[in-house]
Amino acid sequence: MTLLLWLAALPCLYWTAAADSAPRLKAAGIERLCVPPERAEQWSKAGFSAVALSEADLAVRDTLLAPGIRARADRASATRSPWVDANGWRFLRHPDGQYVYEDLPAGRAALAAAEASAYGADAVLKIDPADLESLGQMMAFVAQLPANDLPDVADLAVVDDGSAPLGEVLNLLVRRNLLVRIVKAPSSDFGINVKLGTKEYPLKEAGEPSALALRIRRQLTDEQRALRIFGSEVVIGRLASDGSRARLHLLNYGGREIEGLRIHLRGSFPQGAALVAGPGRVGLEESAVVDGATEFTVPRLSAYGVVDLPAVK
Amino acid sequence: MDRRAFVRLLAAAPLAPALPEALPKLKVVSAYAPAAVPGMPGPYPGRVVSVKSERSVDTTSNAANGDVVREMMARGLCALTGERTAPQAWRRFFAPGDVVGIKVNCGGHPNVVSSYEIVAEAVRQLMALGIPTTQIYVYERFQNQLDEVDYAPHLPEGVTIVAAETANRRADNRGYDPAVYVEADLFGEEDTRSNMMRLVSQRLTKIINIPNVKDHGATGATGCLKNVAYGSFSNVARTHHRGKSHTYSFVGTLASVEPLRSRTVLQIMDGLRGVWHGGPFARTRRYVFYPKRILFGTDPVAIDRLLLDIIDGERKAHGAISIYDRSPQYLKVDDGAARDADPNVNIIIREPGHVEYAARLGLGVADLARIKVQDVEV
Repeated sequence: MTLLLWLAALPCLYWTAAADSAPRLKAAGIERLCVPPERAEQWSKAGFSAVALSEADLAVRDTLLAPGIRARADRASATRSPWVDANGWRFLRHPDGQYVYEDLPAGRAALAAAEASAYGADAVLKIDPADLESLGQMMAFVAQLPANDLPDVADLAVVDDGSAPLGEVLNLLVRRNLLVRIVKAPSSDFGINVKLGTKEYPLKEAGEPSALALRIRRQLTDEQRALRIFGSEVVIGRLASDGSRARLHLLNYGGREIEGLRIHLRGSFPQGAALVAGPGRVGLEESAVVDGATEFTVPRLSAYGVVDLPAVK
Repeated sequence: MDRRAFVRLLAAAPLAPALPEALPKLKVVSAYAPAAVPGMPGPYPGRVVSVKSERSVDTTSNAANGDVVREMMARGLCALTGERTAPQAWRRFFAPGDVVGIKVNCGGHPNVVSSYEIVAEAVRQLMALGIPTTQIYVYERFQNQLDEVDYAPHLPEGVTIVAAETANRRADNRGYDPAVYVEADLFGEEDTRSNMMRLVSQRLTKIINIPNVKDHGATGATGCLKNVAYGSFSNVARTHHRGKSHTYSFVGTLASVEPLRSRTVLQIMDGLRGVWHGGPFARTRRYVFYPKRILFGTDPVAIDRLLLDIIDGERKAHGAISIYDRSPQYLKVDDGAARDADPNVNIIIREPGHVEYAARLGLGVADLARIKVQDVEV
């Protein structure tokens, strides 16, 4: 991927103010903007990479949730785990989709940028101006990540019928770090093919998506999962690997840094390294290969981190 | 016997701990080997010394009497070990080279926590054996709880007061050992591991367990077993949720994990004060009572078996439902306010059978007929 294409794939800040606000953006390290068409020229003259985006352009984009955690008094959770608002399943379902994070509350812009970047999504961010600095830092972080084109790892297939109930099932599977491949028809590559409306996965079960996701997890078994995350209930991982090298994206939706996140990956990998937004490069600690799985500790995780594991020499 | 008489007999019988329908699968991972004589149940299985003093605590001010507590400690340890002096008794358990952790309980702040006087006396006796303060740790899981109780002014300089996490918010894991854990999927939670504190697995050679006499909404009572188990592992609150508790098998299983089991060599149950409802918290004095005793032993199961009767007896005296009650009519799931307001409300079906389960794991004696209690009055 060329540098230009890579930068173009990054999430884009939607900014409606005039170019006299350029110093604020420059101070925050923001170099690329999506702006109303009538302001595109002035922003280009101000030295920014400005993408014209009309109201009509925005209106056709799918609106995303503000990522994070929240209390859900209306939902009786089976576990004590906090409710995580995440959009990964949408990106996986429609990787070529166009998205917008509408009116992100203060404090969410960096995580939103990280989330879109981790899934390579075409996303526009409407942020609270108070988040300019943290967004700029996150954009700088994702821009310097080494390019990576490894395929997603999946433990099971989900046959997409395009329905809303299946969407919620996908949401809960992804949130629980159950790695899915979304397919149009059952795939012989997987031992588990989830297709709603079949005898094994009746449509009515989608009415309790959390319970269904848990049943699928237990059907797969934790031992067979390619990715396990210990030490938090609010981190979602996206794992890509070609069988030798691997890249693991870690998105922390909890709003506070996590220390000592333990990762378990099926397969044997040599010692790698992590790049974490904020601290930068951090060494992986207490690595071990046990029973065909690699484990290590990421000592610190802010909103976003990426672990690269090299191929066995 | 006619049917009516039989039903009356059933009604009069003590409530037996009911077994949970299905026990979860628990996987223990630890490379540590047990000691030749593991600390639990240690050299005195089934043996408890109960030292009582009316002068031990002022029920008006809630303050303990340090001098009386010191005497209670000396008499208790001597009675347990058969030694003539306190230093000789302490020497049975500790040597100058030991690195000793004192597991306190701060969850009942401000009214029922491990007493300053008991903790301070334990430290004094350890130092008298030649153990330097740099080898003595007072520990809990959460630093904010330790900060609230604030043992420092009561202890010599140099004693480390330390926790694994800053607070109960699941963000700091570095205080836990990734190689020692119990794995279980209890409610479908994603994080299925509870890891042992590094302090326990990597630094301490001996542990003194100082729990309180407390009611507990999920276990029935919280004493030696739960204090040292749930107080030495991460991610344990997941065991009880929405009315159901997996503490029945989880408490004892955690306590049995090496090296915790081998290194916990002395149980000192602080029963100067107690809480008979709303535990493990004691935010108000409404449910506080004063057993005015300290229980000594090496067998956590035996002490906890007595504790169940102490708590249940106090509840009975106040007309509250038994800790063994499993009827849905008293269950108000997740309604902590109702529980705090009414001692006849459970928010979880309690599992006092966790004590008996721990006995089955070899941690001690739960059969009352086999527990020998020596009463001492100060």
